[in-house]
Amino acid sequence: MLLNRKQSGKRWHLRPDGAPKVTGQLQYLTDMTLPDMIHGRVLRSEYPYARILSIDTSEAEALEGVYAVLTSKDVPGLNRFGIATPDQPVFCEDIVRYVGDAIAAVAADSPERAALALDAIRVEYEELTPLNSTDAALAPGAPELHEHGPGNVLHRTEIKRGDAKQAFATCDHIVTETYYTPRQMHAYMETEGGLFVPDEEGRLNVYAATQHGYKDRMQLARIIGCPEEDIRVVSSPIGGSFGGKDELNVQPYGALLALRCGCPVKMHNSRKESVRAGLKRHPMKIEMQTGMSREGIIQAHRVRITADTGAYATLGAPVLNFCTEHCLGPYAIPNVDVEGVSVYTNNGLSGEFRGFGGNQAIFAMEGQMDRLAEIMNMDPWEFRRRNMREKNDPGPLNQRILVTDGLSQVWEALDRSELWQKHQHPPTDPTLPPWIKRGVGAAIAMHGAGLGYGIPDPAGGRLSLNNEGKIEVAFSYEEFGQGLVATLEIMLCDLFQCNTSDLSIIIGDTDRVPHSGSSTASRSTTMAWMALQRLQSPFRSHVLAVASEASGIPADELVTGPGGIWRKGQLPAESSEVETDVQGTGKSEKKVALALEGIIQTSEEAEKLEKAERIEAKAKEGERSDFVISYAELATQGEADEWIFDTKFDYPTTPDNVVGGHYLYTYAAVAAEVEVNTLTGETKLLDTRHVVAAGPVINPMGYIGQIEGGSVMALGFTLTEDAVMQDSRYVTTNLDTYMIPTIQDIHTQLEVEAIEDLPEGDAFGPRGIGEIGSVALAPAITAAIHQATGVWVNRLPVPREQLVRPLNVPLQEGVSPS
Amino acid sequence: MNKPLKNHWTAIVNGEHKHLEIAQTTRLVDVLRTHLQLTGTKVSCEVGRCGSCMVLMDGEPVNSCLVMAYQCEGSDIVTIEGLHGEEKGTLHPIQQAFVEEGGFQCGYCTPGMVISTKALLDAHPEPSQEQIESGLCGNLCRCTGYGGIIRAVRKAGERCAIKETSAEETVS
Repeated sequence: MLLNRKQSGKRWHLRPDGAPKVTGQLQYLTDMTLPDMIHGRVLRSEYPYARILSIDTSEAEALEGVYAVLTSKDVPGLNRFGIATPDQPVFCEDIVRYVGDAIAAVAADSPERAALALDAIRVEYEELTPLNSTDAALAPGAPELHEHGPGNVLHRTEIKRGDAKQAFATCDHIVTETYYTPRQMHAYMETEGGLFVPDEEGRLNVYAATQHGYKDRMQLARIIGCPEEDIRVVSSPIGGSFGGKDELNVQPYGALLALRCGCPVKMHNSRKESVRAGLKRHPMKIEMQTGMSREGIIQAHRVRITADTGAYATLGAPVLNFCTEHCLGPYAIPNVDVEGVSVYTNNGLSGEFRGFGGNQAIFAMEGQMDRLAEIMNMDPWEFRRRNMREKNDPGPLNQRILVTDGLSQVWEALDRSELWQKHQHPPTDPTLPPWIKRGVGAAIAMHGAGLGYGIPDPAGGRLSLNNEGKIEVAFSYEEFGQGLVATLEIMLCDLFQCNTSDLSIIIGDTDRVPHSGSSTASRSTTMAWMALQRLQSPFRSHVLAVASEASGIPADELVTGPGGIWRKGQLPAESSEVETDVQGTGKSEKKVALALEGIIQTSEEAEKLEKAERIEAKAKEGERSDFVISYAELATQGEADEWIFDTKFDYPTTPDNVVGGHYLYTYAAVAAEVEVNTLTGETKLLDTRHVVAAGPVINPMGYIGQIEGGSVMALGFTLTEDAVMQDSRYVTTNLDTYMIPTIQDIHTQLEVEAIEDLPEGDAFGPRGIGEIGSVALAPAITAAIHQATGVWVNRLPVPREQLVRPLNVPLQEGVSPS
Repeated sequence: MNKPLKNHWTAIVNGEHKHLEIAQTTRLVDVLRTHLQLTGTKVSCEVGRCGSCMVLMDGEPVNSCLVMAYQCEGSDIVTIEGLHGEEKGTLHPIQQAFVEEGGFQCGYCTPGMVISTKALLDAHPEPSQEQIESGLCGNLCRCTGYGGIIRAVRKAGERCAIKETSAEETVS
């Protein structure tokens, strides 16, 4: 189905956080203030690599208005953090390994005074030569950045199948190419920050963005040396993350300062500090050699991946695992020889980023496919079809995966598309000057969801009828813009035929939600759906049994509906609020905002609105005899805990013992038409079609938004974005030199086609689409550039100088350039 | 440390006269967010590139991170909090269109984007694609890919145009 507003009809659901966002009323965690708060700042390293000889904080401490100056000596617990491998110091003790490394933190009565205090801290360094490339870090005799070596290797991966060496010897054609991908920056609009509030009971309240509040809580407890229960983490709403806020960032400093000072501490990174200290996408060098038979069937594939993971581990190892898994593409290849290495350097910090290593791998693999197809003089799409895995074939790691038709469906849908058909007859426009060239390219991908085999990936959730008579769900997921709350509303309205005003959705608060895992790896929608599938039946049975007891009507004649319980067959015409909330004044946004923000004040207006709603509902109830009992009345029956239903389970994984191997995959095919100006080397993306097979579309607005947003992020990855470093220092320190796409740079056209089929009786429901829109555009664009110009691009962002061609215009007689 | 010089600063902010004792070198974005608690204006790049802090100053869109208090002394400032429909507490047609078309995701760029749209539609009630692009190219959005924003701006433009036409008809 071509996905747009018109096609979506009644399912076009307005987001409950819409009105607060467009009016500026929504308080992000970095907007929060308290009257008695002070301001925190972090002193970061002057060098990418150096030994710390001494730190003198006495002058800073003596400054008026300075409340605390902390260094490594002031960390009561573990002076390290990191989701997977806690190897990043909260405060460096003796060595700094990148320009974002923290040495001290201060709290003062104004941001200006905190900045002065940072200037007053004296640090003596012995500067060391930074390992500014993976080659330098792997060179014999290179200093080891971490003790846990060997060398500067964080992680290695390997896939070996068949006998690649021998197979290459029998191949008729071999393509050998090395691909390079950039250090992409998340560039979320809201930089890191928040408010850290110690309360009278001795607990610490953390209001700071993260993709996994419980994981932050665990790490902070470890740093502070306190029980986890002594910390509450409130973590939504978030002004963008894309993987970039999954690791701790300002939280250790805010927490330690607040506890030391005994008052609220506000932190908010400047953009420059965010660039300097924050995660980036792993730059990778991927060497590929792919051999095929005379008939164009791939026989052998040799891959060497080198990832620059920067100064600390973060998720460098899982990212490399993911890249390794995805560098085989969705193809059946008998002889495979893949090795990956993730290397510590002094080049910033690489970590989790939307697509998680898939983007780099797919760019390289699809590039190989186009080059091979050209040798065969074959349509590149047909070449892919010949080599694609069959429906029942195992996954890339030879692991069992869930069987779906997704791959062939996206292949066929793209093949039929008007845009791809243009490839047969490359678009030309006689009105264009001769230096403007056009071309069309396409790429295909399968992308794993969830964390993969062998990595704890717990899920769950809670469904209850709260004491206000709202159907309440609670998950430890986060709203960082993707539209999770709207998706949950739609799921619940579908399940219970209720109105959004009957709902209370709680996320992003460790005091109020059960541990149901993180919002990462395109997993939240699937996990929430699976949890609700498990919870709905016991919840409904209980609700209807109590309603039956109260009304004397048999439970099997009752159903849940708007406002409460109705006689079966008597429901008012379909729950209509999904569509009727067009005013955008969002009847339920206030409740969500409350749940998300905890201490943020409610608006009086929203309360009035709710009161009016209740009166209106009562009136309706009175008029209708088929209405049995309201949720509010039901909630008063029995004990409160009888209304609470919990579930726990794990994200589905392959039964085969392959670490990192996925079980659920989503599929995507992308076609792109570009226009290249061979005088300037500029590439403009004219038309794009994304076909995505990810199961039923729950939230069309969110789905389109994620694919469009992912696509434009991939456009930046392909054409303009690179956090350039020189001697391990950032050259591009802000958004004026680090170029993310603007409204002038985007595709003139972008269409999204959603394939909603799943196998009959599929137990996993809708798949997440947070990443799939961002993984396959780059190779489609470079294929299109090749058709336009004949140039095979192997490096991102596309180097313009490679596309510049001298104008081949013969000089006219009598007109001499001299 | 010497206390910074205090100065008297006045301006009209969202229709209300404001008087503050602040250093005249304070940035407008800090005047708004810190002194007036108008946190709808966001801070992001602080070099005038991203547009998150966009406000209207005497009707013109400006990045409030680049404007000092002394530069807007006596000005008429409109922030996102000052935008509303015909009645206070309702959505302006532009805000309404952003909600309906999914012209936002995380929402952090949205106040600035809405303000720039207001300036755009004030100048070009029925903007062409080129006018939309040049009017909003100073506002970065990392979530939406701009698709929803363009649809929202078009819809808001249509609505404003219809409204203006009917107003003219009433007058004539």
